[in-house]
Amino acid sequence: MPDFGDHVDNTIFSQILEMDESEADRDFSGPLVLNFFDQAIETFQKMEEALAEKDLDTLSGLGHFLKGSSATLGFNKIRDSCQVIQQYGHQLTVDGSTEPDENVCLQKITDALKAVKVDTKELDKAMKKFFEVTE
Amino acid sequence: MPPLESDLAAAQAAGNNSSDFVRKLYKMLEDPSYNSVVRWSADGDSFVVLENEKFTKTILPKHFKHSNFASFVRQLNKYDFHKVRHNEESGETPYGRDAWEFRHPEFRADRKDNLDSIRRKAPAPRKAPAAEDAFPATQQIVVLSESLAATQHQIQALQEQYFELAQTNKVLVNEVVSLQKMVRAQSQVSNELITHLNNIEDRRRSSRHSAHSSHSSHSGPSFHPGALGLLPDGADEPAPELRRAREILNGVSADSQADRELERLSVAYHQNGSPAESGTSSVMFTQPGPGPIALVHDPLNDPRHMVYPVGQTTGIDPFHSDHIHNIPYSRPLSNPNVMAEGPQQMTTPPKEQGESVWGLKRPRILLVEDDKTCARIGSKFLLNMDCSVETANDGLEAVDKINHESNRFDLIFMDIIMPHLDGVSATAMIRMVAPRIPIIAMTSNIRQEDIQTYFNFGMNDVLAKPFTKDGMIRILKKHLSYMLKDPQPAGLVSDDTGQHVGGPGPGPGPAASSQTYGGGGMAGMTIATIGTGGQVKFEQTPVQSPATTSSWHSPSQMTHTSPNVDNGGYMSAVGSGSGGMVLTPGGTQRPQFANQVVPQVGTPNIGRIPEGMALGDDRPEKRQRLYGPSQGSFVQ
Repeated sequence: MPDFGDHVDNTIFSQILEMDESEADRDFSGPLVLNFFDQAIETFQKMEEALAEKDLDTLSGLGHFLKGSSATLGFNKIRDSCQVIQQYGHQLTVDGSTEPDENVCLQKITDALKAVKVDTKELDKAMKKFFEVTE
Repeated sequence: MPPLESDLAAAQAAGNNSSDFVRKLYKMLEDPSYNSVVRWSADGDSFVVLENEKFTKTILPKHFKHSNFASFVRQLNKYDFHKVRHNEESGETPYGRDAWEFRHPEFRADRKDNLDSIRRKAPAPRKAPAAEDAFPATQQIVVLSESLAATQHQIQALQEQYFELAQTNKVLVNEVVSLQKMVRAQSQVSNELITHLNNIEDRRRSSRHSAHSSHSSHSGPSFHPGALGLLPDGADEPAPELRRAREILNGVSADSQADRELERLSVAYHQNGSPAESGTSSVMFTQPGPGPIALVHDPLNDPRHMVYPVGQTTGIDPFHSDHIHNIPYSRPLSNPNVMAEGPQQMTTPPKEQGESVWGLKRPRILLVEDDKTCARIGSKFLLNMDCSVETANDGLEAVDKINHESNRFDLIFMDIIMPHLDGVSATAMIRMVAPRIPIIAMTSNIRQEDIQTYFNFGMNDVLAKPFTKDGMIRILKKHLSYMLKDPQPAGLVSDDTGQHVGGPGPGPGPAASSQTYGGGGMAGMTIATIGTGGQVKFEQTPVQSPATTSSWHSPSQMTHTSPNVDNGGYMSAVGSGSGGMVLTPGGTQRPQFANQVVPQVGTPNIGRIPEGMALGDDRPEKRQRLYGPSQGSFVQ
């Protein structure tokens, strides 16, 4: 089990790795993780579009969506950013209080999206290395 | 006949007292050429229609512009003419058998002047028109029974409509109630937060004041604005946002009257609806064929809505899983053939689940999840546990599958937030055809109010997201204990899985974590036990066969807790625990109020903050510990 640092919750991720038949052939976790990154990139794309349209509802939905899969994989950093996006999409702070200023929300989401893209890229790289996939 | 009547009406409307009809009648009788057909009687006090047919065909059209003898007779009746009946005994029928003789006391051949006194009868009590006497009785019966049948159909149609409306209404009321609950929960949470933030502020302020002793007299909440100048950040004023937020919250007072009404309605629905629906379940299951079954079950098969009994089997279907799994005889403990069927077993022999834990039959699980990654992982876990799995991408698909074959699955894992149809609504629909199947909510939304809502809508348990394999195992063992090869008593099951769940974390858990969740035994899925005001919502333990308990409206039922779950202990642990109130500055964890038992925010809370903050650092192991298996930090 490699160390992905604070990107990954090892407990959760190792459970998924355990589902592979053997460590040599990660035929379950490999496609799953790679698929996640496809999904993530696709979601980021949609988020950019929604951001351009200032569509907070959609942003919140997308945040929720990606949060679910990243959490299930144990990808905590991505999950946390998605949480931020979901929350501010609802015009709520991370602590759950109301953020009435739409522009603040959009700004927070913009920042979170920027951050999550960077994190995702890093993790994607590390994961591809782990699964020995060459781009 | 209608032209005749309107003629008459017109004549009368003209104010003419005498009747056109009577005049016409008299005029007709004056014509001697009709003698052989119609004429005055010998006494001149009645007139006789001698030849009915000829009269109808030739004279009626001429004088009355129609050729309907029955109408003519009816008209006569209206003017109080009466048919003269001849005494059969006398044997005399002076005008022949087919003659019709009519008489009116004022209508006489010699009293033409008297015609005006013959008036149309007042719209008196309708007598059955003489003409209709001609209808044979059987025909009338046919007509009656036809109209009766039509009415029956109408009633039935109305009842179907009514049923649908009632169902819709029920769903709506439930929806409203749950929305209200959510709103209440939200405002409660907001209140908590405000109180909490206020406290932080207070603390900060007071510490500031102790530093600036000159201002200590101003430490009250109504801080003198003049002091602001001396405090560069102006933090001494109670945050206006907090104040505003509280005002807004206080301003929104619920309409308690309407609430009560709704509550009453929803309770009534639950009382009326649920038992009856479960009562009819066997009817539903006996329906043959996979034909399209209505989303809402067919009202025609619901005895409550039947006007007329139909030939439905309403008895107990012995093969329904409710019964077949409760056969009081011992079953064969294992069946090698069936076990060999599991491909997963072949492919994953060295893993934890070395051999199937299931008895005769592998559980068939429906996994409803819109997120592909989650669905794949969930399916994989389940396959790995030697279950067979089907997936549905959203609530609609799930409802579809259940409608298609209501007892296909042994258990359903149901995501909550999904496109098209959310998990709670889907559950409500599934409950109409499959009242018993355990439905487990999979959600990151595990606050107590939400869970209450899930239970209210017929869900049996909650699996927190991100789910773990052990969490799933625990759920399966708990709800499908009757399918286990080696049915375990409740204590064993929870002990076993409790340790599993607590176990996987690297290294020994810090004290804070066990405090938070009341120990390893609770860590996996404490949610089921979180109750309002200490009410235990452990809906059932495997001690009882799940099929025998009417499990799905369980939140209201007090069932016994799992032996190793010390509820009081849990509650108190939570009360003193720090996990619930962690505020990580700049972090992303949302404080969770899984337990609404600590609404009061006093000094203990303040004491907690540093602790919480200390715990809120970003080291993943700790976070895993805190928010780990029973992930509580997400909203929705």
